[in-house]
Order: sequence, then structure tokens, then C-alpha cells
Amino acid sequence: MIRIGNASGFYGDRLSAMREQLEGGELDVLTGDYLAELTMLILGRDRMKDSSLGYAKTFLRQMEDCLALALDKGVKIVVNAGGLNPEGLARKLDAKVGATIGYVTGDDLKSRFPEALTANAYLGAWEIAECLDQGAQVVVTGRVTDASLVVGPAAAHFGWARDDWDRLAGATVAGHVLECGTQATGGNYSFFTEIDATRPGFPIAEIDEDGSCLITKHDGTGGAVTVDTVTAQLLYEIGAPEYLGPDVTTHFDTIRLDAHERGVRISGTKGSPPPGTLKVCLNTLGGFRNSTTFVLTGLDVEQKAGLVRRQLQDAIGEEGLTWTLARTDQPDAATEEQASALLHVTVKTADPKRAKGFSRAAIELALASYPGFHVTAPPSDGTPFGVYQAAYVNRDEVSAKAVLL
Amino acid sequence: MKRPLGTIAGARSGDKGGDANLGVWVRSDEAFEWLNRFLTTEKLKELLPEAGEVSRYELPNLRALNFVLHGLLGDGVASSTRFDPQAKALGEWLRSREAEIPEELL
Repeated sequence: MIRIGNASGFYGDRLSAMREQLEGGELDVLTGDYLAELTMLILGRDRMKDSSLGYAKTFLRQMEDCLALALDKGVKIVVNAGGLNPEGLARKLDAKVGATIGYVTGDDLKSRFPEALTANAYLGAWEIAECLDQGAQVVVTGRVTDASLVVGPAAAHFGWARDDWDRLAGATVAGHVLECGTQATGGNYSFFTEIDATRPGFPIAEIDEDGSCLITKHDGTGGAVTVDTVTAQLLYEIGAPEYLGPDVTTHFDTIRLDAHERGVRISGTKGSPPPGTLKVCLNTLGGFRNSTTFVLTGLDVEQKAGLVRRQLQDAIGEEGLTWTLARTDQPDAATEEQASALLHVTVKTADPKRAKGFSRAAIELALASYPGFHVTAPPSDGTPFGVYQAAYVNRDEVSAKAVLL
Repeated sequence: MKRPLGTIAGARSGDKGGDANLGVWVRSDEAFEWLNRFLTTEKLKELLPEAGEVSRYELPNLRALNFVLHGLLGDGVASSTRFDPQAKALGEWLRSREAEIPEELL
């Protein structure tokens, strides 16, 4: 059995989770997911400003705080915090802390998709396993599938073969349950009133040689691990029951869940060979956006919305504007807020000047529009926005590499 | 009598690019038998009129249905002008919609 914990479900998750997981009980490997589709765009903009950046900076702080403790307890760290620059993060870590650092590279396909701000293939588990086999105590990757952070250490520990489809599928399910941290242990849970969800503990998978596992958490932590909390997380961000990944196709309609005194047993998962292509996460700069929200209180809500809409369109033109009127108002309301509707307007444009001018035009209406004119927040200059797309490339067009420093 | 679907069903939703996914599950085999008959693609669109093209998948082993709402989020989270651009609360919206739930399942 190998105990694999999770200490992060996104870039910005509970900073103290790593220490909580290391101090709370026994573990063999501690993983963390820092990369969402949106995060790749944020890191892409970091990298534009400073080419030595492009990784999750909070992970560096967590390592300064916790790596000595992890090494002391013999816990290996496997994270995708490398983002767009795993080598850069690995070298920074190497300079700061005395540990054997491995990194996974080869996901960056920007040369193949030059029009994109970021272009990264979703790599799999085997380069992580290779780093661990070579003795890495810390492995940092860029864009790998979230579940690979769990599949890699399990495959290395048990010496699984690349066609051990059912074992790999079982570990993929464990990884999918863990990848969003406390979403498996009672966070964001529909039946939260039935448990103490004040401060859910982070999840742990105790994986067996056959790929089955027990989902649990350290004793004394909050939240709950039940068939319902695990079911909720299994349903997060999935499509068809054939869950495609770079290492294996996992059949979610074969998963079996059973309540256990320490959590939930997962077994029975079937796997089959993965597709011949790898998914690529592409973020391109879509243009600039700006938005504001007009508060419409009391009578004549539709007419008030019509007036301000006409005024703003007269000032800057209709192009790129999206209007939404939310009728949150109630008639004859006892509070001012309950008497108010919200009119949201967003501009999306290729021209940064238009995004900036939008705010000025909205504010110039302040004494010249509907009665009771006000907005929920002061307008800004506008911000660039990204457009996400998935692309697919043949496996032989991607050369993933494991490197030990 | 009509009751919110969330009286017996849990849900979790999220984003994949411009698509949203919405998983719905119940807590007994009897409840799943009802849910699977009741919550067709057409019924989901009726309960969530903002939905466009919808794919529906059955996961009886989890007593769950999974729906993919294509294109609900435009070009994805960073670009979407939708309220709740990552579809985080889509499931809780569905749970608040009322349905004729058989008395014995309550």
C-alpha cells in the first residue's frame, strides 16, 4: 500500500495545507495541483513580464516552510506547480533547499502553436515515475493531467507496466478524487448541512497494488469522507463515462464505492488503452474587457435599463457590448437592496482604448441618467482576456522528458 | 406535491473550456430508478432554460447522471460574460428547481 495525500486543488488554495498534511499523520507522497485552464493564462501573463517566472510562486513558499519536515518524515513531494516553467522552478528550489529535485518537461508546444500565448500538452504519469525511480525527493512538472500526480507515484512504487490498464485506471480514479483537495472531503458539498464543513481536512488515497484504494483523511481533521462526498467529486468536470487520459482510458461506469470505517473504498475500476492523441491546452489573447453593474431601484426597472442602455450605446457604439438585466428586485420591498435590480454590461474589444473609454462613458452618465443612478463598484481601465481552446496532437509530436538536477 | 429536486439529489458542476458539466446523484437505488426516468435531456432543458445543446450520460454504479451543457460558457472562463462563468453553482440552481418527487422517496 502507498499513502498519497493532496495539499492543493488550485493556485491559491489553503497555504497551510502542506504543513497540515505532513504533521497530521503518516504519508508516503504528498501531491498538489496548481494548474487550471485559467491558471495557465495567468502564468502566461507572468511569463510575459519576466521570463524567469511562469510557475506557482506559493509552492516555493510552502517548500521553504515545509521541505525539511517532509524530508525528515521521508515524504516525497509531487506537484505540477512548475506551470509554464518547471525547469525554472526546479532550479530555484535546488538553490534554496538541499534535496534531490526532478522535473518533467516537454509539454510546451508554443513553437507548434505560435499564435497562442500558452500551448501545453497534457502529459501523463511515466515521467513522474521515472524521476521518482531515479531518486527524486521532489518532482515538479508543468502541464500534466491532474490525476497523473497520483498515478506516477503509484506506478513507480508498485513497478506497474504501461499496459496495466485496470491498475492505472484505478489510480486515475484516486487521482481524480484527490485533485481538487477538499472538494472530496465535504467542501462545496450539496449536503453540507449533514456534516461539519467548517474546515475540511485534505484527502488521502491509500492505494493498493491492484489499483484499488481507500479514500480517507487524517484523524482529527474536519469535513467528512463518505460515499456521497466522494461521488460528488467523481462527477466534477467529467464528460462521457470513458474518461480519456494520456496513460489510460478510465471507465467511470465500472467504479464501485463502499463505505469503510475510515472513509470510502474504491474498487472494480476498468481501464483500456488511451487514445493515440494528446490534448493540448491553448490560451490565446482574446482582446480586452471591461464591465460595470448599474443598480436599478424601485419603479420602472425595464425603462431605467432601456434609458441607460441607449445612453451608453450612443456614447461609445454597440460593438462588443453584452447586457444582462437581473431582476433581483421585489415589489414593495422592506430593504433598499431587495428593491433593486442589477444591470450588468460587459465590453469585449480588440482595442484597449475602447475598453478604457467604456468606463469613462459609463461614469459621465452619473448625473444625467435614470433616477437613483449608482454602480456597484468603481469602473477600472479594463483587462486583457484569454480564449481557451483544446487542440489534439499525435503522441509522437510530443517528447516528454524526466530530468534530475 | 412539488419539492425542490435537491431534497433528494446532490449535484456538482464545473467548466471544461466553453462547456459546463453538471453531475447529479441520489442516495438509493429506488431514487436512481426515478431520477433516471424523470431527468431526461428535455426535462433538464425545461428546468434550466439557459441550456442549449445537452449530452446526457448514465452512471448507475454511482446512482448518478452526468450532463454536458455545450457552449454555455462561450469561449471559456476568462472570456465568458455569463454570471458564474465557471458554472460552479449550476448544480445548486438545478437542486432548487421543483419537481413532483414520489412521496416514498422523501
